[in-house]
Amino acid sequence: MINIVRSFINKVLRGIFKKKKNFKLGLYGPPNGGKTTLANRICKDWLGQDMGTVSNIAHETREVQIKEEISIKSKGKELTFNLVDTPGIATKIDFEDFIKSGMKEKQAKERAKEATKGVIDAIKWLDEMDAVVIVLDATKDPYTQVNVTIVGNLQARNIPVLIVANKSDLKKADIKKVQAAYPQYNVIGISAKYGNNIDQFYEGLFAIAG
Amino acid sequence: MPHQCVRCNSFYEDGAKELLNGCGCGGKLFFFIKKERLEDMKKIADEINLSDKDKEQIEQDVFDLVGSEIDRDQPVILDLEAIRVLRPGKYELDLVHLFKKEPLIFRLEEGKYMIDLVQSFEKFRKK
Repeated sequence: MINIVRSFINKVLRGIFKKKKNFKLGLYGPPNGGKTTLANRICKDWLGQDMGTVSNIAHETREVQIKEEISIKSKGKELTFNLVDTPGIATKIDFEDFIKSGMKEKQAKERAKEATKGVIDAIKWLDEMDAVVIVLDATKDPYTQVNVTIVGNLQARNIPVLIVANKSDLKKADIKKVQAAYPQYNVIGISAKYGNNIDQFYEGLFAIAG
Repeated sequence: MPHQCVRCNSFYEDGAKELLNGCGCGGKLFFFIKKERLEDMKKIADEINLSDKDKEQIEQDVFDLVGSEIDRDQPVILDLEAIRVLRPGKYELDLVHLFKKEPLIFRLEEGKYMIDLVQSFEKFRKK
């Protein structure tokens, strides 16, 4: 009898503990793909607030940002997760690129250093993730070393992946090219900025979280 | 395995006393270099003439990158093959190396450090 009571209590406690461990959804990708714009879209849609600042100059997000307990609903289902927005992953970070965008030298060098640290941090966080959304710029070549490395490493770690081909509102965007580059994944074309096709994106989230 | 002073570019063999006490120039930060890459490194060191100010800046930046938890008065040996600082503000990152969870810094005994920036990857290895 005592054993039955004990196992019942254990079950209940485990249930509570499980609920407390929040599902972590990471946004990964190269700089300026629109990770923070998508994070802001998700936060605006479900929490009514922004998550971070966005900029045309690359490496705007240089620290990992977390928004806790976002609940999204679709077709009677509900999904609660912690959203983790990460700095853009790059193979080369050069302060002169920032100077071209109108930044002062000292500020540009500081940004380059912080961006480099950001890449290390983003990679460090990868193993914490339960699922990852890779945000790619659909106007750019999808076959880059950065993209292939991210996709390959997620696959090796068995982390569920959803690929977003962002900026579908731009004329140069080629969603089909991104789909052709990663045929083994669900690739959804969206515009995080304008919310185009965002419902299909939320559907995709349920698929990788399930 | 050779080591190179971040500040003055001098090379030291494994076990050299400078690695324990600091380089003659006062620098206490050393790059750890694989033997097969030594010749390349020497060539690069000759080609890129960094000013003293640049070297100091790189040293400062590397300290910032590896974290504030290290003691700056003790010699530190870096295995920064994953990240190359070409000059202040110019970085090249070897993503394959970074994703491989290899440590960026080694701590040896007697005041040398190993800081595993990618320690969280240990979890993955255990899985």
